[in-house]
Amino acid sequence: MSASQSAVRSRAEAVAVSRTFDWMILFTLFFVVLGGYHIHYMLTGGDWDFWADWKDRRLWVTVAPIVSITFPAAVQACLWWRYRLPIGATLCVLGLLLGEWINRYLNFWGWTYFPVNFCFPSQLIPGAIMLDVILMLGGSMTLTAVVGGLSWGLVFYPGNWPVIAPLHVPVEYNGMMFTLADLQGYHYVRTGTPEYIRMVEKGTLRTFGKDVAPVSAFFSGFVCIIIYFLWHFFGKWFAKTDFISDEDL
Amino acid sequence: MAATTESVKADAKEAPLLNKFNLFAGLMLYLVFYSFIRWYEGVYGWSAGLDSFAPEFETYWMNMLYIELVAEVIIASGLWGYIWKTRDRKVMSITPREELRRHFHHWVWLVMYGWAIYWGASYFTEQDGTWHQTIVRDTDFTPSHIIEFYLSYPIYIITGVSSFLYAKTRLPTYHEGLHLMYLISVIGPFMILPNVGLNEWGHTFWFMEELFVAPLHYGFVFFGWAALAVMGIVNTEVMTLAKLLKKDLA
Repeated sequence: MSASQSAVRSRAEAVAVSRTFDWMILFTLFFVVLGGYHIHYMLTGGDWDFWADWKDRRLWVTVAPIVSITFPAAVQACLWWRYRLPIGATLCVLGLLLGEWINRYLNFWGWTYFPVNFCFPSQLIPGAIMLDVILMLGGSMTLTAVVGGLSWGLVFYPGNWPVIAPLHVPVEYNGMMFTLADLQGYHYVRTGTPEYIRMVEKGTLRTFGKDVAPVSAFFSGFVCIIIYFLWHFFGKWFAKTDFISDEDL
Repeated sequence: MAATTESVKADAKEAPLLNKFNLFAGLMLYLVFYSFIRWYEGVYGWSAGLDSFAPEFETYWMNMLYIELVAEVIIASGLWGYIWKTRDRKVMSITPREELRRHFHHWVWLVMYGWAIYWGASYFTEQDGTWHQTIVRDTDFTPSHIIEFYLSYPIYIITGVSSFLYAKTRLPTYHEGLHLMYLISVIGPFMILPNVGLNEWGHTFWFMEELFVAPLHYGFVFFGWAALAVMGIVNTEVMTLAKLLKKDLA
């Protein structure tokens, strides 16, 4: 092509073309990241995310933040360092939640008839906003990993508290005491119902009573710091624009 | 004067940079098709999909599987063959405007890839979780698998490879060499399909219950990460488009 030729007829057309590409890029990025993030999240933390009776004070609080900080860290690495867009984490989480809500409503309820108040997804938006704001204000990957990663883990349980609290009240049923969420699970039997499969409230930590959730969140935040570093570098690698030359093939 | 009139006429006849019909028709095609599929699941999942040894299972589900497999092979070979056969052999000598038009067409493919990935990796994959938490599987070819693994995954593979082939055969940017992240973003999600072999082998060997976070499923997770390579494509495209439009946007 000739460098002197122009691809557009006017500046107005150039602006319009540029805006149209923005929307097409955003659509594609949103849905591809949604798909990748969703398949990752549902297969590494999904069971805790699917069911209210898996949303315990210990493993849900520990596992969900650790496995969910991955894609936000990677997408931030591209959108912030290349385009100064402080929306990487929020974009990922909004995509994930859209995919999850559509599924819980149309499939969990619509196909297999689990009530939505038993299979609602975990809330991740508060952590995502904090991660993006810390990166935007600090402009530092290290600061975002340490402060943002820790915040991501710590804010998860409080962020979900308004939804989960009513389901964690104790009830007595046939002489046994458990939570309302456990009672929901008791009535909605699934192939993942047997207690050797359901991973909740394991270990001796539960005897610490009220300390379980904060300790789990703190441990989760610690691991999130490490995972953030790792996935930030993954994100930078995936954002490369390298070609393999014909000779290498 | 005459020359100006001719030029205006030529402009009026020129194809639009973005074919909006293709874009919206493509999006609607997948939406309408998958809505039909979801309706089919809702009706025949419960009425004919619970027992794989029942004759109605053969009628409504195994026949569905056979039809979709044949259709996918025909569509994939036809589409990929067409894109390759009609490739531009002088791709490096096209005008900047033609290059811009082709980038728009390329992005229609990429939008479709994103849309197909959503249906496959998000909608039908998590749907599989709730079906198998409800119905104990007695076959590898359950109603949700017949849709998820053997319909929605091949559709995004066909779309992704078509997009890659279009870029490789029509755009100067991708003409020489192979774009590493483009390859990963197409081959990674493709590898989820062969990984079904591991998944089914494991499910027939270890357990009948459903645990979505079981290590057996981590192959899907690993290849799902490849979706992030779309960022490499976006970066390459932004650099190319900036070069094409820079002079006029300055």
